[in-house]
Amino acid sequence: MLEYIVPATGLLFTLENILWINIGVFVGSVFAAIPGLSVILCVILFLPVTYTMTAIPGMMFLLGIYCAGGYGGSVSAILINTPGTPHAAATMLDGHPLSQQGRTKAALKIALYASTFGGVFSALMLLFLGPQVAKIAAQLGTPEYFMVCVFGLTIIAGVSGKSMIRGIISACLGLLIACIGSDPMTSYDRFTFGVSRLYLGLDLAVCLIGLFALVEILAKAEKRLDALHLDTRKIKDDGKITKSEYKRMIRPVLLSSLIGVMVGIIPGTGASEASWFSYSQAKNMSKHPEEFGHGSVEGIAAAESANNAVTGATLIPLLTLGIPGDGTVALMLSALMINGLNPGLSLFTTDGDIMYAIMLGLILVNIFMCIQGKFLTTLFAKVVSIPQEILTPVIVIFCFAGAYSVNNNYFDVGVALIFGALAWILRKLDMPPVPILLGLVLGKMTEPHFRRALLISNGDPAIFFSSIYCLIFLALIIVAVATIIRGKLNDQKKERAAAAAAANVHEEE
Amino acid sequence: MKKRLLSLSLATVMGLSLLAGCSSGGKESWKVTCPWAPSGVAAVVSQKAAEMSTKYSENTTLVAEAIQGDAATVNTWVADTEANDTELVFVGEGLLSITSILDPAKMQFTYEDFEYVENLYSSIFVLSADAELNVKTIADLEAYVEGTSEISVAVNGATGSEAFLAAALFGSMGAGDKVKLTPYQSAAEAAQAVAKGETSFAVSHQSQILETAQQGGVNVVCAFDEKAIEHGPFEGVEGVGEYGYPYFRNRCFVMARAGTDAEKVSALKDLYDQILADEEVVTWLQDTMLLEVDTMSKEDVEAHVENVKNIVNEYKDIVAG
Repeated sequence: MLEYIVPATGLLFTLENILWINIGVFVGSVFAAIPGLSVILCVILFLPVTYTMTAIPGMMFLLGIYCAGGYGGSVSAILINTPGTPHAAATMLDGHPLSQQGRTKAALKIALYASTFGGVFSALMLLFLGPQVAKIAAQLGTPEYFMVCVFGLTIIAGVSGKSMIRGIISACLGLLIACIGSDPMTSYDRFTFGVSRLYLGLDLAVCLIGLFALVEILAKAEKRLDALHLDTRKIKDDGKITKSEYKRMIRPVLLSSLIGVMVGIIPGTGASEASWFSYSQAKNMSKHPEEFGHGSVEGIAAAESANNAVTGATLIPLLTLGIPGDGTVALMLSALMINGLNPGLSLFTTDGDIMYAIMLGLILVNIFMCIQGKFLTTLFAKVVSIPQEILTPVIVIFCFAGAYSVNNNYFDVGVALIFGALAWILRKLDMPPVPILLGLVLGKMTEPHFRRALLISNGDPAIFFSSIYCLIFLALIIVAVATIIRGKLNDQKKERAAAAAAANVHEEE
Repeated sequence: MKKRLLSLSLATVMGLSLLAGCSSGGKESWKVTCPWAPSGVAAVVSQKAAEMSTKYSENTTLVAEAIQGDAATVNTWVADTEANDTELVFVGEGLLSITSILDPAKMQFTYEDFEYVENLYSSIFVLSADAELNVKTIADLEAYVEGTSEISVAVNGATGSEAFLAAALFGSMGAGDKVKLTPYQSAAEAAQAVAKGETSFAVSHQSQILETAQQGGVNVVCAFDEKAIEHGPFEGVEGVGEYGYPYFRNRCFVMARAGTDAEKVSALKDLYDQILADEEVVTWLQDTMLLEVDTMSKEDVEAHVENVKNIVNEYKDIVAG
């Protein structure tokens, strides 16, 4: 490892990289602070920008957005009781009450420090665990990789929202779209309809601009959003955190960072799960559980350290196996692959200096996030109330410019528009878009491994159970699917019970 | 109403600013599009040539770009460029001799759409065998082929140069019906497949099998060339040409758009020739990339394309079924 760290440090500490980290952190914080704009939307809009960059500055920029997005969501959660991102919802429970007690700056500071610790902890875990997992990945062959892909596809069950069936349908649509272009095993064309630009398949970034960004614009056009009013006088407190408060934060921050890492490694889970789970653990372990929900520093620290501790951990399966932990990191995979960096052991050996620069860069990203958060929080707070009339045209322009810039042609702009319309229809049918993204990413990996494995075995499916790694992944798939189904059934049971209780109350009235 | 006007004006101003930024700036920089993997041999060599271009020309800079997509990328390039555009593209025997026969509908261009500039390199592919088979020479290979019912070979892509080299070798040994080509998505993956025991053989660039060969997982059996390899770690590995089997080298032709002024093409050829004659580049190509500098005339290129076409026509049934 040390042989890579020295050259990696040289590659990382350049003015260009530092600049892109800071731009990424700033943009990510702003996007996450504005309710209605998400980190994934921000990454999609700026992904085409990275296509013209080399791997390190491109990844630094995206990681800056990703990590700062983890913290930025807490700003509006604390200030206006509206989480900027879904995973900041747990922060809101104590952040806003603390703000109402006249300690807004203190609440923001606690969120910032906890986020920074969680992020750095997670980056260190990536640095030490990543190469070890990659060594195992190097031993995997075609059937094992197929099982890994199937395991990745179980993510779909985790991100399919309330209805697993709808999620699976969306994923199948993603898999179908991934088939457009040359057949990986025969080189013959599929679903190209004689359109030459389709021989290459559809560019992921272009599809996602339509699926996630343009559809947001269409959705905004449908409903009138009231302007968010923020009283900036609320953030004029001294922001002091007492020694005893710092002491109380240590245990939940450490535990939540660990939880965040463990949750982040498992594909399909995400920052929201980590922050809620950590919040509840912190409450159970606290000497002052009664303060939770009323401005507890432990509550804010636990939720924020957990959701940022997910950031580095989700990169472990991505960089070693090519399995994205969530939708946002799936996009980072294309930023890496456009530079010829393919997940696996070679990323940590042949391209070790670049990879270690990226992993060390993640620590740097968190440090700059802390610095920007310390000095620019008031600015981030003000962007919360930027009117939609300004935001919407800016996003539209970014969408079209981004789609055009991928291959410098209008065909891609058309594709983005078609995907925008498709996403709007799917939204009307309550179909989640994230499974489409995962289907698109994983489809290109799953199909060739499946068909090649059968070619190697002359059609014998026993090849998928032929090694210990295949069996391990099979067991993981079964456990993951069973856990997810059980969770969904429990949710349905709770919903039915709540509906029955509501009906009883109604009858009694 | 005011808000709508604000939205509209903001979108207009930003749109106009973007269009204003689209001017070329007037510099004579030639974008060199590699239609293969950004981490592949051609893209890496192109990057090196681009770096060296500033050393040999004050007026012309080469800017390397890799857009993986093979025929699709070249189709787009041909559709989007005109004569004298400062754009270059790579094509090889894969497109000019293989795709043009197997799947001509995929190619919306012909050799006539290009103006040949220079050959960037020559690569002698090698056949490696799973070390457990103990096949180390062509004689061992012939004995193995005779005694086996299936010859599985890992290749990069279903119908690439590697697939045809394998088909031509085993086909000319009379074992075409025993060959099972297993396509992988990259040359590196194909090279590793044989070490993992997924296939018995692999055809790859020398550089892509070097590490695995040094670790002892595979034996490099033969080279797809006329004679034995003369340089590098595989020096002395027999050439299939010595035994009368068909072969071709993998080449990467730098092309300008047809109709580009002859002086411009000539200046570019001179630039590439100077770069490829640079001692540093020669050593780097030979020792690191395990490739050869092999500048060619237009006639040589046409002969190469024809030779590969003949091989494709003869062995396409083995590859494409």
